[in-house]
Amino acid sequence: MEVDWTTFALEIINFLILVWILKRFFYHPVLDVIARRRAGIEKEMADAKAVEEKARVLEQQYENRLADWEKERDGARARLAEEIAREREHLMAGVNAAIEAERERNRVLDERHRLELRRTAEEQALAQGAAFTARLMSRLADEGLDGRIVESVVADLQRLTLEQKRTLAVAAAEAGATVRVATARALRDDARKALCGALTEALQRTLPEEFVIDENLIGGVRVTIGPWVLHANLGDDLQFFAGGARRAL
Amino acid sequence: MERAAIVFHLGPLAITATVLTTWGIMLLLGFAAWLSTRRLSLDPGPLQTLLEGIVSAMDDAIRAMLPQRSQMLLPFIGTLWVYVLVANLTGLIPGLSSPTASLSVTAGLALLVFLSVHWYGIRSEGFIGYIKHYLRPSPILLPFHLISEVSRTVALAVRLFGNVMSLEMAALLVLLVAGLLVPVPLLMLHVIEAVVQAYIFGVLALVYISGAMQSQQTVSDSDQEGSS
Repeated sequence: MEVDWTTFALEIINFLILVWILKRFFYHPVLDVIARRRAGIEKEMADAKAVEEKARVLEQQYENRLADWEKERDGARARLAEEIAREREHLMAGVNAAIEAERERNRVLDERHRLELRRTAEEQALAQGAAFTARLMSRLADEGLDGRIVESVVADLQRLTLEQKRTLAVAAAEAGATVRVATARALRDDARKALCGALTEALQRTLPEEFVIDENLIGGVRVTIGPWVLHANLGDDLQFFAGGARRAL
Repeated sequence: MERAAIVFHLGPLAITATVLTTWGIMLLLGFAAWLSTRRLSLDPGPLQTLLEGIVSAMDDAIRAMLPQRSQMLLPFIGTLWVYVLVANLTGLIPGLSSPTASLSVTAGLALLVFLSVHWYGIRSEGFIGYIKHYLRPSPILLPFHLISEVSRTVALAVRLFGNVMSLEMAALLVLLVAGLLVPVPLLMLHVIEAVVQAYIFGVLALVYISGAMQSQQTVSDSDQEGSS
């Protein structure tokens, strides 16, 4: 066991040369390719991370956009609901107003119809009452009633005022003026004379006299002097009252 | 151990079979390295994967001890592993002897480790800073440091030489005594021993170098621990 110094020295040199050879042809190329692959992997990882980050940003943007869209949709839906409610309220108010107007119109029509019916019924009642009264009074009327009515007419003519007498005189002064006396039945002579006398006195002249029979008068007389007519009979009175009552309705 | 046989003379230098074998190993490794790394690609094949696995394993082992200095130490430590392993296994080839069965070779390797420890230590810590670590924790320990430097270097050389030489000797003796196929299990043990010794040699060199490179840092850490 001894050391050969030549071998010792050559081994040291050989080993150093081998270190250089392996460093040049083995370690460096392999480490270089490992480093390049690692760099490529890191670059791909960086790219992947960048893509991931971009995707995350896009996802965030999409979610934000979606949230905004949902918010906008909710707002639009709320506005639509509010508008629908307002429109419905407006339409309901219109419908209610129309219903109320229709109801008021119907009420007015009903009231008018009811009044019309009532008026018709009252007119019929008045007509029937007048007819009934006329029939009753026609049965009660006689020459005595005619005489009493003539007496009251004569009394009324005698109580005329000067103004009224002047009016009658003006009517009697017209050309062709006559005195037309209508009765339900023929007057007695005394009643006819008393009436003619009273008329002559009231008219302050004598006019041609004409006596006619009109059964519609029921009882009493109707004296026509030109345009002036004196109603002193039951028939005209009944028609007058019936007409007044009808107008009063 | 008999003196190594001189094969020829190259001027004043006597070239022994050990040196020739070493040159053969250098040629083989250099050619294999050149051949295998000619067409490296980013998409590795099986051979490239194997090569990258070997280099990555060595780099990881160095990085485990010196995380920042693996690129600097990989050529030296890696070559130690590769050369010692191949040199150890060369003895399995009939007619050849392991270079590492020669004390001249292992002593040369041990001397290189010894020098590299100081080289890397001075590069890392500076000359003054590196020299100072011999005085710590106390200058009294300087002789022990010096004795340790020498003894571990000698141990490094003798350990590898003794193991490989003894294995070859044992295999030779068994072959002479028992016959042709009986030494086969011993040769399998030779393979394992070759791998283990190569690993031990490289790891010890790495430990020594890392100890030298981290000596100042270790002192700083101990100072901080003491102050805290």
